[in-house]
Amino acid sequence: MYQDEIKEAVRNAYSGISTGGGHPVARRFYSESELAEIPEGSIEWALGVGNPVRYAFLQPGETVLDVGSGGGIDTILAARRVGPLGTAIGLDIVDEMRARGRRHAAAAGVSGWTEFLRGEMEAIPLPDGSVDVVISNGVLNLSARKSRALAEIFRVLRPGGRICLADLTVEGELPPEVANDQSAWSG
Amino acid sequence: MAERVFAGKLERAGFHNVWMGGHRPFGIDEATLYPLFTPEVISEMRRTIPSDHQDHVATGVIVKARKPG
Repeated sequence: MYQDEIKEAVRNAYSGISTGGGHPVARRFYSESELAEIPEGSIEWALGVGNPVRYAFLQPGETVLDVGSGGGIDTILAARRVGPLGTAIGLDIVDEMRARGRRHAAAAGVSGWTEFLRGEMEAIPLPDGSVDVVISNGVLNLSARKSRALAEIFRVLRPGGRICLADLTVEGELPPEVANDQSAWSG
Repeated sequence: MAERVFAGKLERAGFHNVWMGGHRPFGIDEATLYPLFTPEVISEMRRTIPSDHQDHVATGVIVKARKPG
C-alpha cells in the first residue's frame, strides 16, 4: 500500500467505527482508580495498547501533547496530572474523534486547560519547542512515514522535553495476507 | 516495526536516553477486542499465522526518550 492509501485507510477506519474497545480494552491497561478519573464515554472509546500516562510522570504546569488522541482517555488523564496551570493538547485527524475528546474532556471537568487540534502526526500544527511532553497510544504504528512523525514530535518538544509512547512492535514478518490488509494497518 | 528499528528511528530523529519496557504480548485474542480489526482479518490471522505464535503476534511496549537540552 502507498502512503496516501494507508493514511486514507486509517482515517476511514477510525471514522467508520461506532464504538471503541470499551472496558475489555481499558481494563487491560488502566487501574480501577485511573478509570474512575475518566468519563464512561471515554472508556467506551478506548483503543490504545498501553498506558503512557502512567510512565510519563507528568508534573503540574507542564504542556502535554497527545498524538492521536482519539476519544480522549489519555488526554484527560494527562490533563488531570498537569492541572489547570498546565495544558493538555489532543491531536487527531478524525473529526469525530476530536468531537468525542472535547465532549469527554468537558464531562471530566478539564476542558478549561484542554484543547483538541486537527492535524496529522507528520505535520503537527504547533510551534517549535512548545511542548514539555509528548504521549501517544497505539498511534505511531499507523503512520506510513514514521521517521517524519518522529521528526515532528522532536521539533515541537522543548529542549530537555520527553516522550512516552505506547505502541506495538512486530518481530519478523506478518503473512502478506495480513500485512497488506487495510484493517490490519488500521488496527 | 521491530523494536530495534523503532529505537534506531528515535536515535536518528535526535532523541537520547531511549528506553523500552513494559513489554506485553499482543495476540489474536487481544486483536478481537478492537473493532478496527474486521472479522475477515481476524479470520485471516487465525488461518495464516502459525498456531504457536497466535498468542504473541506483536508486543505492546512503552517507549521513553528525551530531547537533548
